[in-house]
Amino acid sequence: MKILLVEDNERVTQFVVKGLQEAGHTIDHAANGRDGMFLGASEPYDVIIMDRMLPGEIDGLAIVEVLRKAGKRTPILILSALSEVDDRIRGLRSGGDDYLAKPFAFGELLARLDALHRRAQGINQETPLTVGDLHMDPLTRKVTRGDRPIALQPREFKLLEYLMRHAGQVVTRTMLLENVWDYHFDPQTNVIDVHISKLRQKIDAEFDRPLLRTVRNAGYTVTASD
Amino acid sequence: MRSSAVSLAAGYVVLGIVALVSFAAPLWYAWHVTIQDGRAEFLQSDAQRLTDIFRHDGVTGLKSNIDARVSMQIPGERILLLTDAAMHPLAGNLPAWPSSLPALPGNYTLSIGAGARSNATALMHVATLGSYYLLVGRDNKLFAPLEARFWYGLAAAVGVLLIAGLVGGFMTRRELLSRIHSIRQTVSAIIHGDLKHRLPTDRSGDELNTLSRTINGMLDQIELLVHGVRNVSNSIAHDLRTPLAELRARLEELALLRPTTEETYAQIDAAVADVDRVIRIFDALLRLAEIDAGLRRSGFVSLDVAEVAAAAAEFYAPAAELKNIELKFQADGPTRVPGDPVLLAQALGNLIDNALKYAPEGGTIEVLVRRRGGGAEIAVADNGPGIAQDEKAKVIERFYRGDSSRGTPGSGLGLSLAQAVAKLHGSTLELTDRNPGLCVLLALPPEAAPMAAANAATTPAAQTASIAATAAS
Repeated sequence: MKILLVEDNERVTQFVVKGLQEAGHTIDHAANGRDGMFLGASEPYDVIIMDRMLPGEIDGLAIVEVLRKAGKRTPILILSALSEVDDRIRGLRSGGDDYLAKPFAFGELLARLDALHRRAQGINQETPLTVGDLHMDPLTRKVTRGDRPIALQPREFKLLEYLMRHAGQVVTRTMLLENVWDYHFDPQTNVIDVHISKLRQKIDAEFDRPLLRTVRNAGYTVTASD
Repeated sequence: MRSSAVSLAAGYVVLGIVALVSFAAPLWYAWHVTIQDGRAEFLQSDAQRLTDIFRHDGVTGLKSNIDARVSMQIPGERILLLTDAAMHPLAGNLPAWPSSLPALPGNYTLSIGAGARSNATALMHVATLGSYYLLVGRDNKLFAPLEARFWYGLAAAVGVLLIAGLVGGFMTRRELLSRIHSIRQTVSAIIHGDLKHRLPTDRSGDELNTLSRTINGMLDQIELLVHGVRNVSNSIAHDLRTPLAELRARLEELALLRPTTEETYAQIDAAVADVDRVIRIFDALLRLAEIDAGLRRSGFVSLDVAEVAAAAAEFYAPAAELKNIELKFQADGPTRVPGDPVLLAQALGNLIDNALKYAPEGGTIEVLVRRRGGGAEIAVADNGPGIAQDEKAKVIERFYRGDSSRGTPGSGLGLSLAQAVAKLHGSTLELTDRNPGLCVLLALPPEAAPMAAANAATTPAAQTASIAATAAS
């Protein structure tokens, strides 16, 4: 992916740039709003990471609004030290596609960038999903592994659907909370892990090859490759 | 004029005088005109009588009649003068025909007299009798005492009004000043940091009392908020120091001992987990502060309590299953109230999470949604050890953790957050015993009114509840 990072803090920049480069992405960096706006408007990026508070006259949300008005559809992830629900709503309303509060885990950032990129490429909501020998038809709501049908509760279905739509990518616990349950808070205990292990019971328990895997310090992924 | 009471009184006095004058002026005018007319008529009939005498007895008869009248009269009361065609006086009590009076029949008001009473006037009637001129007049000073009495009356009324206004204004001012003085003393005590003071109020419903009561309500709210802030800073100091100290020790040890690579990575992972714990507590504190400040009312929509509660129960169901706890959910059916779905879900999540921590293996947790008085009530009940009566108020305090809960994970903010959410929705958490177990009730009124709840904090029952929620000590 070709990624633009608009961020003024040097430590955060160093940390993000290094991490993303190691993950195999190309990064451009702008340290202020003016450069960020110029690069964002002129270069074709797959994803833009936009810090909300920038030095100078132009702040992150203003750049997002300008880019959107100029017809740029590049997915934008807003980074911010403001984490309240209202701040988040304001960020998304200005035209951002996702919102991540500082401080964040690098795994969370990477997973969200992947998800944004994937979403931007356009997925047909009705196309059957396939990972290895696991099949899901969103229309008939049927799930099979090999030739065996698997019965899922509605929420389990939604959880698996989200994981399969991001097959091969890491999905964090927060992403699952936000997208499957629409909960924007920390539920304190490891409830997500329990939901995952229940789902794992249903789709992986009786098969040799596990598809739903835990990624240490990050989250989960559904993948057929090793 | 510095005092508002005095300027108000002065205003009323001026208004009173204006009213008095506007009442007296037309009256005085009407009276004046009527008297004047009556006197003119009187003079006319007098002249008529003299004319009749002239017709009967000629000028000599008239002359003797006039002389007789003049000799009987108090000088000046009536003016009589008979002159010949050349204006030479023949009879009467005027020395000469007044120069400013025309020798034409009619009524005239004439300035007479000289010296001190130069403004004295007289009403004159002039008649012609053949070639003679007759002047009948009357001095207006006869009516002067009456007029004077009128003016004295008016002046006395104005005086009474002035004195009453000034005295009233002064007394009102003194009363107001003394009350304002006590308010000012209280307020300056508060400014100097003693938030316990309240403005004096009594049972009367006058404006100052109403204002004082409103200000007291505001002070209650400010005291709660200040308590909250103090609590948060105490809590930060207390609860963030511990994980930060651990983190520091871990990193210092790492730098000092330089263990094997494998061990180093494990320590770094543990350090990240420490930091995450700090962030978690921080987020919870910020969220609490935000809810306490009442800023989250913007997220209020009409929501179905049963739906929110069902989703929360469903979310925690697998966790309950894992502990072999039965999580039951029951609702009266859809119940709509105004509320913030995200916060309500979080509060409920905290309550269920709490119940999960304390319910024993094989125990039961019940989540019930009931309709109550147009609103709804959510009950989360477990059959764990419950909470001792004297600990009930404390558990809602920030960071309080019962002795039995040492070692279980959690920020210690779960119940405080649920309490703050309840407050935002215009109610409070209610903790009751189930013997064994604990039941937490969260009422959701049909029309959430957090300000009303804040005002109600002046009643003793609500006061203990809010103190319980925020007390630092």
